[in-house]
Amino acid sequence: MSLSNNDVFVVIAAYNEEKVLAEVIAEVRGTGYQIVVVADGSTDATAAVAAQAGAIVLSHPVNLGQGAALQTGIEFALLRGAGFIVTFDADGQHRAADIGSLLGALTKHHVDFALGSRFLGTVVNMPRSRRLLLRAATWFTRATTGLKVTDSHNGLRAMTRRGASSIRLRQNRMAHASEILHQIARSGLTYIEMPVTIQYSGYSLAKGQKLSEFVTVLIDLFARRLHR
Amino acid sequence: MIAQLILTALLFGVLLYAWSEYRRSPVIGNLSFLAALAGLDFVWVPSHATRLAEWAGVGRGVDLVIYIWVMISWILLLNLHLKMRAQLELITALARTIAISNALQALKDDGRSNPPQVPSSGGDLAALQSRHREDDARS
Repeated sequence: MSLSNNDVFVVIAAYNEEKVLAEVIAEVRGTGYQIVVVADGSTDATAAVAAQAGAIVLSHPVNLGQGAALQTGIEFALLRGAGFIVTFDADGQHRAADIGSLLGALTKHHVDFALGSRFLGTVVNMPRSRRLLLRAATWFTRATTGLKVTDSHNGLRAMTRRGASSIRLRQNRMAHASEILHQIARSGLTYIEMPVTIQYSGYSLAKGQKLSEFVTVLIDLFARRLHR
Repeated sequence: MIAQLILTALLFGVLLYAWSEYRRSPVIGNLSFLAALAGLDFVWVPSHATRLAEWAGVGRGVDLVIYIWVMISWILLLNLHLKMRAQLELITALARTIAISNALQALKDDGRSNPPQVPSSGGDLAALQSRHREDDARS
């Protein structure tokens, strides 16, 4: 597997992120990869900011959730002939510099998924409560998928075209992070975890997951198993 | 006797519901089916309810019947939740198709470089949706 900049699509799901999105896109643009922003029914100027910053913008007419937005971006990238797809958070907690190491891992180790792990890498300003919550979520994911991951809810991940084609997110909201791992486990495709840096800010913490949302994630995952 | 007949009619309604739901959600179908059968048994052979209630520590058989009815209500509520999820999936598919089609059209209008490696966007979108339908049929 080899890659050129045109082969790589960075997908960013964004909901009302006008305050930080331009900065995030500017940082990712430095990598030279194509950027796809899915404005997920945003009521602010997210779509306009993204377009002005040079991203390809897809707009959901209504807010559906991060999982739905990522799936839309992934399908679009596949339609555009993407060889590699990276998912990247819109709230500024990821570092564009980590994209290269994830993509490098895909080609070097011949795997289909490179999953970012903050617990193998560096975490800046993470509250203790968030750390406990993420540890619990990771334990749950390990128990239910059998994958020995160290960070189950990290939005920074890279995948090959084959990997992306095997993923179909049906959990519209935050449960998609667990769902991806379930689908990776079920597909039998290979993955590797790579250290990444997550930098929390007041903004990203305010936009991030709350304990109540983890309860919703559990309900969503349970409900999904009950119907076809 | 009148109450028994009314309850029987209602429970037969639940059985029909269980049968109709089984194909979409076997778990809901089975739970509804079992609850309705238990209800019919308790309505026509109250001593079963009394004995089972004593065994379970509920006290009276009529309490057990009420609990089973509450359970049926919860199952129906759960099923309603699942149906809402199914509706949401349809809305998601619709929103996704609109978003992707608009973006592809905008790129075409802009004449941006890096054309897709696929022969035609419309056809490929249809192919993608077809793949999803096949996935649904398999799952």
